[in-house]
Amino acid sequence: MSATAIVIGAGINGLVTAHYLARAGRSVCVLEANPERDAAWPDAGAIDPRVLRDLGLDTRVLSVAAMEPWITVPLPDGGRLQLHHDIAQTAAAIRHIAPRDAERWPAFCQRMHDLADVLLGLATAPPPDFMTRQPRALMRLARVAWDTRRRGRQTTLDLLRILPMSIAELLDDWFENDTLKAVIGAAGVTHLHQGPRAGGTALVMLHQHMGCPAGVFRPPVSRLRRALAGAAPGRFDIRYDATAVRILLRDGRAAGVVLEDGEEIEAPIVACSLDTRTTLLRLVGPDALGPDAIQAALAIRSRGVTALLSLRLADTPDFHTLFVGRDLDYLERAYDDAKYGRVSQQPWIEARVDPMVDPMDGHAHVHVHAQYAPHTPAAAAWSDSMREALGRRVVELLQDSVPDMPAVLDMSVRVPPDLGRAFGWPRGQPHHAEPALDQWLFMRPLPGYGYGTPVPNLYLCGPASHPGLYPLGAAGANAAATILGRAD
Amino acid sequence: MTAPDVIVIGGGHNGLTCAAYLARAGRRVLVLEKRERVGGAAVSEQVFPGFTFSVFSYVVSLLRPEIIRELDLPGHGLHILPLESTLTPLPDGDFLAQWGDHDQNRRELARHSLRDAEAYDEFGRLMYHMAKAVRPVLSMVPPDPLSLDPRELRRLLRLGTHFRSLGSDTFHALFKLMTMSAADYLDEWFETEALKATKSASGIIGTFLGPRSPGTAYVLLHHYMGEIDGVFRAWGFARGGTGSVSEAIASAARRFGAVVRVNAPVERVLIRDNRAAGVVLENGDEISAHVVVSGADPHRTFLHFAGEKNLPDDFVADIRRYRFRGSSGKVNLALDALPDFTCMPGNGPHLRGAVSISPSIDYLERAYDDAKYGEFSRRPYMDIVIPSMIDPGMAPPGNHVMSIFVQYAPYALNGGWTDAKREAFGDAVIDTLSEYAPNLKNIILHRQVITPADIERIAGLTEGNIFHGELSLQQLFFLRPSHAWSNYRSPIRGLWQCGSGTHPGGGIMGASGRLAAMELLRAGE
Amino acid sequence: MLKHTPFHERTAALCASHAWRRWAGYVVASSYELVPDREYHAIRGAAALLDITPLYKYLVGGRDAARLLDRVVTRDVGRSRVGQVLYTTWCDGRGKVLDDGTVARLNEQTFRMTAADPNLRWLEDHALDLEVSIEDVSESTAALALQGPTSRAILERLCDCDLAGLKFFRITDATLRGIPVTISRTGYTGDLGYEIWLDARHALAVWDVLIEAGAAYGITPAGIFALDIARIEAGLMLLEVDYVSARRALVPSQLSSPFELDLGWTVSLDKERFTGRRALALEAGRSSDWRFVGVEVEWESLERLWADVGLTPRLPAVAWRASVPLYDGRAQIGYATSGCWSPLLKKYIALAHVRAAWSPPGTRLDMEVTVEHHRRRAVAHVADKPFFDPARKKA
Repeated sequence: MSATAIVIGAGINGLVTAHYLARAGRSVCVLEANPERDAAWPDAGAIDPRVLRDLGLDTRVLSVAAMEPWITVPLPDGGRLQLHHDIAQTAAAIRHIAPRDAERWPAFCQRMHDLADVLLGLATAPPPDFMTRQPRALMRLARVAWDTRRRGRQTTLDLLRILPMSIAELLDDWFENDTLKAVIGAAGVTHLHQGPRAGGTALVMLHQHMGCPAGVFRPPVSRLRRALAGAAPGRFDIRYDATAVRILLRDGRAAGVVLEDGEEIEAPIVACSLDTRTTLLRLVGPDALGPDAIQAALAIRSRGVTALLSLRLADTPDFHTLFVGRDLDYLERAYDDAKYGRVSQQPWIEARVDPMVDPMDGHAHVHVHAQYAPHTPAAAAWSDSMREALGRRVVELLQDSVPDMPAVLDMSVRVPPDLGRAFGWPRGQPHHAEPALDQWLFMRPLPGYGYGTPVPNLYLCGPASHPGLYPLGAAGANAAATILGRAD
Repeated sequence: MTAPDVIVIGGGHNGLTCAAYLARAGRRVLVLEKRERVGGAAVSEQVFPGFTFSVFSYVVSLLRPEIIRELDLPGHGLHILPLESTLTPLPDGDFLAQWGDHDQNRRELARHSLRDAEAYDEFGRLMYHMAKAVRPVLSMVPPDPLSLDPRELRRLLRLGTHFRSLGSDTFHALFKLMTMSAADYLDEWFETEALKATKSASGIIGTFLGPRSPGTAYVLLHHYMGEIDGVFRAWGFARGGTGSVSEAIASAARRFGAVVRVNAPVERVLIRDNRAAGVVLENGDEISAHVVVSGADPHRTFLHFAGEKNLPDDFVADIRRYRFRGSSGKVNLALDALPDFTCMPGNGPHLRGAVSISPSIDYLERAYDDAKYGEFSRRPYMDIVIPSMIDPGMAPPGNHVMSIFVQYAPYALNGGWTDAKREAFGDAVIDTLSEYAPNLKNIILHRQVITPADIERIAGLTEGNIFHGELSLQQLFFLRPSHAWSNYRSPIRGLWQCGSGTHPGGGIMGASGRLAAMELLRAGE
Repeated sequence: MLKHTPFHERTAALCASHAWRRWAGYVVASSYELVPDREYHAIRGAAALLDITPLYKYLVGGRDAARLLDRVVTRDVGRSRVGQVLYTTWCDGRGKVLDDGTVARLNEQTFRMTAADPNLRWLEDHALDLEVSIEDVSESTAALALQGPTSRAILERLCDCDLAGLKFFRITDATLRGIPVTISRTGYTGDLGYEIWLDARHALAVWDVLIEAGAAYGITPAGIFALDIARIEAGLMLLEVDYVSARRALVPSQLSSPFELDLGWTVSLDKERFTGRRALALEAGRSSDWRFVGVEVEWESLERLWADVGLTPRLPAVAWRASVPLYDGRAQIGYATSGCWSPLLKKYIALAHVRAAWSPPGTRLDMEVTVEHHRRRAVAHVADKPFFDPARKKA
């Protein structure tokens, strides 16, 4: 069997790459290891505007849902803080508990939005190459610097100062109220093996903030993957239950894919949306790579720390999205446990009522994100009893924070190894490579490689590449642009 | 003295260096030091009769070779003795030693890990390249990245060209080094915990970070900068204590004609028409000069000496945002015998080097955890030297002085640094060290415990931060202490900065003082 | 403390000269006797016994042992036969030489690799998905070299194996008076000779039986001074003396490819993959900039230079390891890295790197010589390597 391009993985980025290649006239074959089924988890993240503009997706299937209020937080004295899309409304809410912080809220939102906008510009194009000697690429570099500078001194200065900062220090600079700082601080450590005091966490918050409205520090949810898959017929084929086990090589170049059952599919271009280590060390194999590439792939840090719980409740709770985490120290202590290989004794959690499910039987589904649950706890590998213990802890926290919390009818707990198996997140890390400063921009997926790899004609089009997980589909779109630019 | 051209506030090593270079160029320079001796945090004092302590800083780390040469510091009494080894005792009675001799070092590392013994050399080679790449930046006046002034743009271009000339491999390696945590960076190279911890300890000194915090890897370069300095390598112990470094620089300054006055605390800078016009001493005396250079840290310089009301609001906001958070303490001991380390009993070459209490990364992280939540480390990190083993004159014959640098001791301690807390801190240090050298308590004649509050009070360092401000990425280079004013100038014409609160910051380098002087002379002031 | 080899008790007792040196963290004798000449002449005229334990040695075994070694070295290990020893280089990803050494196939799935530098990490990092064991046996394996025309006779007296049948660069198990060893017909002298590999615990016993059996054949413990002269005569390069390991090079000009070291014959480009292959394939297509050659200095020219200051030529008695410029007229066209007076050949010889255009044998060049504090030039020419290649070496 042959095509002109193979895409491994029918996740968001894989499908986006396939769409763009198909649009440019390539015959694309997408290979997905899982059997066809709905992803149970809604897709969280702002969507790359190019994807919305170019790919003609059915907006009803896409179903972007922005929660309002975007977060609800229990306060120490028993009340609740709700943060809204409307900045003035949020400022009013904050004024009850911290008048000075309320004054600063609009300026903070504007500044963070401006910065996230700069990053969005960087995200929706291949990473700048500081080492380039090519005149066109140099021009592009200069343009990036000029564009940034044109946004004003403040933005440029912020960019230089804030990028290496910890989210804790950034928030300490702006606000006094512990609860407010904790809510925003969590955006700096989501899915991250770091605490809010770690450098680079401000960048993580901004990364997630790209494409979101000003003042909203949680990403919207959608069914992007379903919409992308739904728009495929007529453009390209998606083969489910087709597990790639090896990349075919000819003269050291990628020439196709070998499936688990032995079938060989030839194609002069292979784009893989899996993580770098899996792609290079398993699918390509060390024989075809030099020691430098192998060491670089092994060095990529992708430590998953998230547990995702699905709760079925007897009734709908009185929140949309609830955050539990008292202050930045609470988040930091939760991280301390993970540092030493332990599951957080006091995890911070964020519980979201699934907006997509009609409560026809009166039951509500609540998805809970909990941190930190290390992939390989030091004391023992994850057992069912450990999962259950974590689940009980989460339910306790919810019950403590929500008066009249409905009864939990059943619960599933998925920890990093489970998430790895279910979603292909290496070690349970959805960013593939942790969004740290040294794994950012031109350092993704491997320093200086852009979307290519040491194997010619093999590309990495998933979150392992720039810009990472957010905005959704950006890595796939950039990879496609690179492939199309290079292939001719 | 006739009216000076330049007044230097503070007789710390940077202030003295600045004064020496200015005097060498013919300026009439007056240095005003509040204490009874020069040196600031680089002082040697006989706190107890017969025993000379390097009270605060205790090793010469990266004193710039050009300063040693250009001021002829050896001619003014500077004598740097080598610190050749580091011993890391381990809780189980074993140890890790790093020696000056390559073969000996390799053999010791191989005892712990054959892989690490091999990796050590390659790591050193990479660090050499990194240090070479970074070195020009150390002696560069930071450009203003926001300015559209052609001169600044040219400077930026030069900087960009320098990094592009490194080649992709080196540039990417440097990028990793500058952004990663020491622990993650070292995990890519080594497996021996004690080795990683001892190396990463240099990344946490004077910061409010732990070895797993991003931004601590680049300080690994410090040790290897010394390799670049080659035979000028000044990583060692100054004979007579670190005070002799300050005295040598002061002597050089005087030789060039500078006047150095002690017991002359400055109260504020005289400002007329938004220009510096001199200083007012605490006793009311006014001394005129049309240039004032402050060797104090940015808070003291601007919020205290210059006065907020004389400065633009956004600059004041920047300076207020500039973080200090001192985290270091010191315990100086007078001993009547040598400590006996369980892992290496008796006297030996190991006592002529440093002893590092850093058995593992987790140990350092737990020490950091205590500080994060406002306590001093129950089981702290320590860097220990016994100066009298290298320089017999530091203590009476048969006796010894021991210098213990400690992390973490947070300035903002829960409940504040009371006398009781100081003693409790000292006890924690002694108790921890006694686990490795059980005879310690029996041999202590006197003890001096220095907390960040003491460092602030005595040496004038805000929040006791030994580097005049944290060396975190967002406060380095053109952001130190504030963008647009990282070129040793200030918003007040004629008021300059020359302390470690400017680029390159750091230990006893003298680079800030020298660069400030050069800039001042180039500006024709 | 520096390490002692397992033979130290014997060698220390013999080291009248107290001339020790470091080798890989060990201390070994530069020479034993006060005047080292006899030790060299034993290599060429009788049998020299040399302690070569400081070499790094790795035992590679398992189903993928050959596969691992083939990923690393430039020679084709998979094609080697049991009992065969290969001399090879290995390179980094850019095709620049890291080290050189031997790979001996002890049996179908077991190899012993020797190297001048430690290479455990390099081997392990190539073994990612392979079923292979890598053991660093550097300290547990002692090694001796017995080199010279009577070496075979000595070993034949002691060992129970077919020594006469042991061909050049082959290895065999053997026992010496009951002590189990392996014997390879290899060496670093370019002469008839053997290397004996043994468990360190048997070191003194093996030394003693050799000395006893060799007494009638002129066996002579020899140090590194003697070995240096012999290896230069044999045209054999030495790591960190004649070339800089890619691991240690600080600037690109310090790097060397196997082609530039006259070791192109060790590069098996028809091996499908090994580290550095791509770069080496490219280089093989063009011509290398540098060559590694022998240099012979004209005696008459040396006589003239010394006569100018009223002296006869004073050449070092011991081989030198330094960088000595080579010129063609005003231009420097290379540099010698090892050199010595060959007592056997009665020639002043050197090993050198020259730019390719000056590499053909017979090419005339000038070598710098310091004569009574002045830098002078002696006439020299490029000579074939090895300078000395006796038939008995392979017979």
